[in-house]
Parts: sequence; C-alpha cells; structure tokens
Amino acid sequence: MIRLLLALVLALAAAAPALAERLISTLSNDTIEITSSFDGERMTFYGNIAPEAGAEQRYVEGPFHVVVVVLGPTQDRVARQKSHHFGIWLNTDEVVFRRFPSYFHVLSSGRLRDITDFGTLTGNFILPEAHAMVPNEAGLMKTLTFGRELIRLMTQEGLFGVQETGVNFLSETFYSAQLILPSNAPPGPYIAQTYVFKNGAIIARKSEGFAVRKIGFERFLAQSSTQYPLLYGLACVALALFTGWLGGVIFRR
Amino acid sequence: MQIYLPIAELSVNLFFLVGIGGAVGFLSGLFGVGGGFLLTPLLIFSGVPTSVAVASVTGQVVAASPSGALSHYRRGGVDLHLAMYLVLSGVLGAFGGVAAFSLLRNAGQLDLVIALGFLVLLGFVGILMLQESVRALLKQRRGIVVRERLPNQHNWIHGLPMRVRFKKSRLYISVLPVLAIGLFIGFVGSLLGIGGGFIMVPALVYLLRVPGNVVIGTSLAQVVAMMGATTILHAVQSQSVDILLAFCLMVGGVAGAQFGAAAGKHLRGEQLRGLLALLVLAVAIRFGLSLVLTPADIFSMAVVGGAR
Repeated sequence: MIRLLLALVLALAAAAPALAERLISTLSNDTIEITSSFDGERMTFYGNIAPEAGAEQRYVEGPFHVVVVVLGPTQDRVARQKSHHFGIWLNTDEVVFRRFPSYFHVLSSGRLRDITDFGTLTGNFILPEAHAMVPNEAGLMKTLTFGRELIRLMTQEGLFGVQETGVNFLSETFYSAQLILPSNAPPGPYIAQTYVFKNGAIIARKSEGFAVRKIGFERFLAQSSTQYPLLYGLACVALALFTGWLGGVIFRR
Repeated sequence: MQIYLPIAELSVNLFFLVGIGGAVGFLSGLFGVGGGFLLTPLLIFSGVPTSVAVASVTGQVVAASPSGALSHYRRGGVDLHLAMYLVLSGVLGAFGGVAAFSLLRNAGQLDLVIALGFLVLLGFVGILMLQESVRALLKQRRGIVVRERLPNQHNWIHGLPMRVRFKKSRLYISVLPVLAIGLFIGFVGSLLGIGGGFIMVPALVYLLRVPGNVVIGTSLAQVVAMMGATTILHAVQSQSVDILLAFCLMVGGVAGAQFGAAAGKHLRGEQLRGLLALLVLAVAIRFGLSLVLTPADIFSMAVVGGAR
C-alpha cells in the first residue's frame, strides 16, 4: 500500500514539472444548412495550443502536430460483392457493418505515420480502417476484405478521406484546417475531434459538434415523406395530375 | 444550376433533370408511350439510387397521361367499365410489386431483378414490334396494300368462364384475362417504374380484341389510375418518392410530349413503330450488357435502414 502511494507520489512529482498544454479551438459554423441550392459547404477549424490554465509557464514548446477527425452520423451499411454465375454478374456475398460512419475525414499537419505510431492511430479511430475492423459476425478475414472495399467505395464518393496536408500552422501554436463538406454529406449530428500530438503522444484533445440539417422547404419535404407518407403520396399524385392537365391546357393551341 | 433532392439526398443539375424529362417526353409524345421505360434507366445510369429512381418516375408517369386520357374521354374513347377492371386488378398487382420491391432492396437483389426485368420485357416486346413493323414496311415496298389486321371474332381466351359485357368495347368476354393483364402490368409497372402502356396496348388489341378507337384512351386512363395508386404505395412503403425529382421530370416531360406529338404527325405509323422498337431494343441491350459484362467494380455498398 505504502509502496503504491509512494509510486503515485513519485509519478505526480515527475509529471508536475513537465509542460502542460491545452487546446483552444473552435469551428467556423456549428450548423450547416441544406437548402435547395446546397452544393457543399466550406468549414474551417482553427485553434491555438496554449499553456494549461493556471500553470506557471507562459509559453509552450513544440513542435506540435494537429489532427482533426470529422465524423458523420452512423448508419448500418452493407458491402456487397458480385460474382459470375450462370453467365451473369450478381451480388452473392455481403457483410453488414453496424454503426458505420456515413462521413469520415481526417485532416492532419503531416504524414500520419510520422506523427505517431499505428497503435495510437487505430486505437483512437483516427484511421478510416479502424472503423471497418470492429468485430463482425462475418468473421475476421471477410470483415477485413469487405471493410477495405467499403472504405474505398466511400472514398470514391468523397465521404471518406485523409488529407495529410489539411492542417496548416500559421505560427508555432496557431493552426487552421479547411474542409469542404460535399453535397452528398448525409444530414445529422457531426463530431470534430481535434488531437494535439507532441513526440508521438497525444497531449491534448477536444471535440466539438456541429449539425448538418435540411431547413425550410427541404426539411418540410423530407419530414413529411417519413411522418405523413400517405399524405405525401397523395400530394405527389395531385401534383402530377395537375401538372399533366396544365400541360395539356397550355399547349393545346 | 444545382438543385438538392431532399429524398435522394444529393444535388443534381436542374437543367439536366428537366432536359432528360423533356427528351424522354418528346419521345413519349412521338410514340404515344409513357416513357417510364426510358426515364428509369436514364436516372439509374446517371447516379440516382435505384429505389428513388423507380419510385419517383412512377410519379412522373402519372403526369404524362392525364391530358391525353381526358381528350380521349371527351371523344368517347375510354371504356370506363373495362378500365375499372384493369385498375382494380392493377392496384392489387401493384401491392405485390411494391412489396417485392422492398424485399428485393433489403436482400440486395433489386438492381439485378430490375435489370433482368427490363431485359426480358423490353427485349421481348422490342423484337415483336420490330418484326411486325419490318414486315409491314416490306409489304408496303412490294406494293401490297396494308390493311389493319382485322381482329378475329373470338379466340379461346374469350371462352373462359365469368363473362362480362363491355358495352363500349362491344365485347362479351371472360373477365379472367382482363384481370390477369391488369395484375401483371400492376406488378411489373410498380417493380420497374414503368406505366406499361407498351404492354397494355398490344395485350388489349391482340388478346382481348378491343376495338382500336377505345384502346389508347382506355390504356391511358388505366395508366393514370394505376400509377397514381402505385405512387402512393411507394410513398408509404419504401418512402423513396422524391417529389422534387418527380416534379422536375414532369415539367420537362409534359412540355416535351407536346412537341413530340406534333413531330409524330409527320411520320407514318409503321416507321414510328419501327423506331420505337429499335429504341426499346437498345435499352434492353444496355441492361443485358450490364449483366453480362464484367462490372468495373465487383463491390458495391448500400445503407441498411435509415440514418441514426
């Protein structure tokens, strides 16, 4: 017991003189509104690495690396594989990934493998592959294969990505990062996790949330299609009948 | 100009949508068909999710027909009694079609079945139409006067039990083939997002011997009612009807159809049928190739259920 306490005290004593840093960060918009002309949106994340509040020291010592991970709402997503049977190509195999992020982008101030080791990256879900490696009833080998393909497909859609030059340091401690959210970014709650690395270890982290949501007419349409599907369907038919009839009247002569 | 489609959840060029609506509308006015069999594949090939494309085109098909149906009705060219039987069985078929649609979508085989369905149906109809129009054109060239084939008075289909009198069509026939046709077109139409006019018209003419003056009007009325019901079913069951997408297509389609109809007056019936047959076959071949050729990517992905 005493030995344990002693160890604790020693550890605290060893930690105290080291510089402590904290991250002050914010983002340019906390809601992204999808209107009828929505064509993607530019977001900026910026922040400063400062001494811990109440600490003696007045400066922090780098070099620092900053990694911003932007995570979209999760969905159940399925990856399917086609194979050749009876002369045609058809889907024969699939793996379902539960609670898979619908959007995932990593912005960093340098090459990720230079910033830290693989274990830290996967352990904190900084690499896209980490999301596809969660245990699955399909078995490890299949999960790995299908997960890799799923990430490739998501990357092609612009929903997944790693930009290793995405974070720029404007001074020793002040950084900014830009992300262009594509128009097919799914609506829902998003999380932006910012990690500060020094000598390969995470020394500060902070997460901020923002929302992508439909507003106005788009929101009204999307909501009524799920909440009042019958009325929505009737409205569609009424609109179609009216448009068709009107077309006939306008073009009659 | 980009427009965001709230159900498909992607943004598409507005002019592209109205443009393909107009182009397909032109062809549909020219040939007197609904155009769903062209529009659904076009949307699928241009990146709209298959389920949204099928469900939204259903709405567009509803818009393509009411003005035609109305003008035929005023001229007395609609057999309401016959249309009623077709619509009732068609809606029943649509229930089945929409249920199958959801099942297949969850099983990941929707694209396959839609491609197969288009291939078989369009291939079959296209070959029949091409044969017929080539024969007619050849005969004409040899100087033989082409007469509209007069329907035989009766065939075995008329002899089935449960006969009903359809006054306007001057028919006294069994309702069983009528119901079967309605059921089939309802099922296929809701599954593939097509009105089925190009199956309905030959079926009415060759199987039921419905006289020419009421065929088109009855078929149009049936398409409006059945596709209207199907749109509602899709909206309730799969919730993938994108009203904005459907509206853009409607506007283009309705306008295009008028120009198509005007252009159609300068072409002869056999030529029109021959061209339509080629068009139908081209779509069938496109689907056939997508099944047979090695796909660019053997992996695909889809969202199961909704976002959380």
